Amino acid sequence: MALTGRAGLLALIGVLVVGLLLPSWQGVLVVFAVLVACVAVDLVLAAGVRRLTFSRAGAVSVRTGELCVVELTVHNPGRRLRGVLRDAWAPSAGVVADRVAVDVPAGGSRTLSFELRPVRRGDRTADRVTMRSLGPLGVAARQGSHVVPWTVRALPPFHSRRHLPPLLERLRELDGRRASLIRGAGTEFDSLRTYVIGDDVRSIDWRASARSSDVVVRTWRPERDRQVTIVLDTARTSAGRVEGALGGLPRLDTSMDAALLLSALASHSRDQVDFLAFSHKVRASVPRAALPALVQAMAPLEAELVEFDARAAVAEVLRRAGRRSLVVLLTSLEPSIEHGLLPLLPAVASRHHLLIASVADPAVHAMAAGRGDLEAVYSAAAAERTLAERRRLTALLARHGVDVVDALPDDLPRALADRYLSLKAAGKL
Amino acid sequence: MTAVSPDSRRIWTAARGPLLIGVVVLFAAVVITLLRGTGEGGSLDPRSYRPEGSRAVAALLERNGVRVELTDNASSVKGATLFVTQPDLIDPRRLADLSGRAAATVLLAPATGVGRVEPGTRQPGCPLAAKAGAATTGGVVYEGEQRCYDSTLVRTGTVTTIGYGGIFTNRDLDSEGNAALALSLLGQHERLVWYVPSAADRSQQKSFGDLVPAGWKFGALQLGVAAVLTALWRARRLGRVVPERLPVLVRAAETVEGRARLYRRSHAAGHAAEVLRQAARDRLAPLLGLPAGEDPSEEIARRTSRPVTSVRALLHDNGPVDDRGLVALADELDALENEVRKG
Repeated sequence: MALTGRAGLLALIGVLVVGLLLPSWQGVLVVFAVLVACVAVDLVLAAGVRRLTFSRAGAVSVRTGELCVVELTVHNPGRRLRGVLRDAWAPSAGVVADRVAVDVPAGGSRTLSFELRPVRRGDRTADRVTMRSLGPLGVAARQGSHVVPWTVRALPPFHSRRHLPPLLERLRELDGRRASLIRGAGTEFDSLRTYVIGDDVRSIDWRASARSSDVVVRTWRPERDRQVTIVLDTARTSAGRVEGALGGLPRLDTSMDAALLLSALASHSRDQVDFLAFSHKVRASVPRAALPALVQAMAPLEAELVEFDARAAVAEVLRRAGRRSLVVLLTSLEPSIEHGLLPLLPAVASRHHLLIASVADPAVHAMAAGRGDLEAVYSAAAAERTLAERRRLTALLARHGVDVVDALPDDLPRALADRYLSLKAAGKL
Repeated sequence: MTAVSPDSRRIWTAARGPLLIGVVVLFAAVVITLLRGTGEGGSLDPRSYRPEGSRAVAALLERNGVRVELTDNASSVKGATLFVTQPDLIDPRRLADLSGRAAATVLLAPATGVGRVEPGTRQPGCPLAAKAGAATTGGVVYEGEQRCYDSTLVRTGTVTTIGYGGIFTNRDLDSEGNAALALSLLGQHERLVWYVPSAADRSQQKSFGDLVPAGWKFGALQLGVAAVLTALWRARRLGRVVPERLPVLVRAAETVEGRARLYRRSHAAGHAAEVLRQAARDRLAPLLGLPAGEDPSEEIARRTSRPVTSVRALLHDNGPVDDRGLVALADELDALENEVRKG
């Protein structure tokens, strides 16, 4: 049961009754008895909460930060139900308004809409539905909770999708579908067509022109149907929070954003994307990943406090990627790479092209520029040491034929996509 | 069923344990109170069975047809014997008024005495108490019209003053002629008003509570009820608090900050200086078009007006550096870098 504000108000009116009319113990008791009677009447006449039935419908997944609607249907088998209903969700599910006034006629049902704007990636589950059923006097209410399970999967926000149009433009230039003056755009022979003014004269196929009445040029297209294997490191180092334009996010989330942009681009250029999330074992795996399947697979991933098992990851990649492919490892350039990944590089590099993308920390760069007092200079020294370590690792990896993209969180998705396009243009896939 | 709120059976299951404990405590309290008997009243209380109580004399009086009325305000004393156990607690004017209205008055040890004697068995030596004979008296000596027991019991008009209350107690009632004396003093009339004054009688001042009108008092009580009901309204949650598992958030730069503190605590100025110099060399070499790792000193000297030795000293000197020197070195390296960028 629950009381309402009216019970307090009634007792407050009772102050006048007691003070002016019945200033005695009897007066207090009389007023109290009236109150108890009102409460009892309300409790008896309020619609039962226990026998209500609930069902849900609506969104099952939404991009983090965007609005979705989950519907809750209340079926009332008893007498008319009036009162307040609360649909409780975890705070990060971002329910806009979780309490609504409810009025369901006897034997009827009502559908209530709740708007959710999840603030954090992952599976957001509904907690309990609590109904407070008011009596006819509005002094007291019956209250009870029901479990009505529902899960909304908050997908990665994919903020970097705004970079996609200019990247696709570049891809089309490479493709030869647009007039382009870039020489060497593409390495695979595509077709022959008639010369038009503006084509590079060096691309004229003289042998074909001799057989035809027109001048014929060869067209080239970039490589396609190549395999891109994206490996996402979800181990220890991916948990670190890095400040970006969107506030502090774990490295993992920035890496996901970059992976999504890369796979969107790759699937537009008809490359095949395999996705693998790995910590000390396989966390998620999407072969021949389309974007919807990829975001679904990424949504529930969380960073784990374990060490990245490079040996197992390399074995898994070698097992999956049958033919030569571009292996993109989204991780963090930490000294542990030297012992973990570096000794295994020859095995990978002989068969695949390895690209390591790492989220740099703007805080470290800011510390490195610190001057003025002793504390700032010591911080600068410590930050410089970290940066020097990263430069050394980058150079070391480059010596083994590994491409490294080390960029700040806001720049990483674009930088990785650019590197992919330039590799494609150079025909290195 | 999806309902998860407790039904009446679950509430009973959960509550019966505490309820049982409550009943046991209550039962134990009742039993202990009954076994201890009435602890009521102090000395000379007609309800008290203790040695210093006066249950025995009250019972004797009632057997002899005297109605004993215990009171703490003595409003109606007309035609009755008034027995005041602590007359000093009453306002003298009120006491005079009361004893004027009462048929007889017995005051126990008021502060109007003229001397003190030890309590003990004394002979009456006066017609007033001749029938009772020897009794346990003493305490305070008074002056009055009729004096008995060496002036420890005196009578002036209808007012009898006795200096020691031993004869009324359960302990001493049965010794000597105590009982006879007590009965003759208190049993003079059919009604005995046994006046045990309370502390309020002395002050004669009304408390704040007496002055406030009843309407205000009970109104305040009702206001309390309203406050409690309002609190209950606000305190009741609409459903439970929802828990959530939050991911651990560690700032990625924390290890770097930790290293900076280590440098500082160990005053590793030399080491920090070398790191800063190395970083400056690494940044300057590509600026000047030199391969990484090559010493840029000579090239810098050529581009700027600085002598080679001073540039080399700045970029390579491994001499001892203290904390103040480190701050200066960082600024000098910055100045050199800016000069090269501009030049």
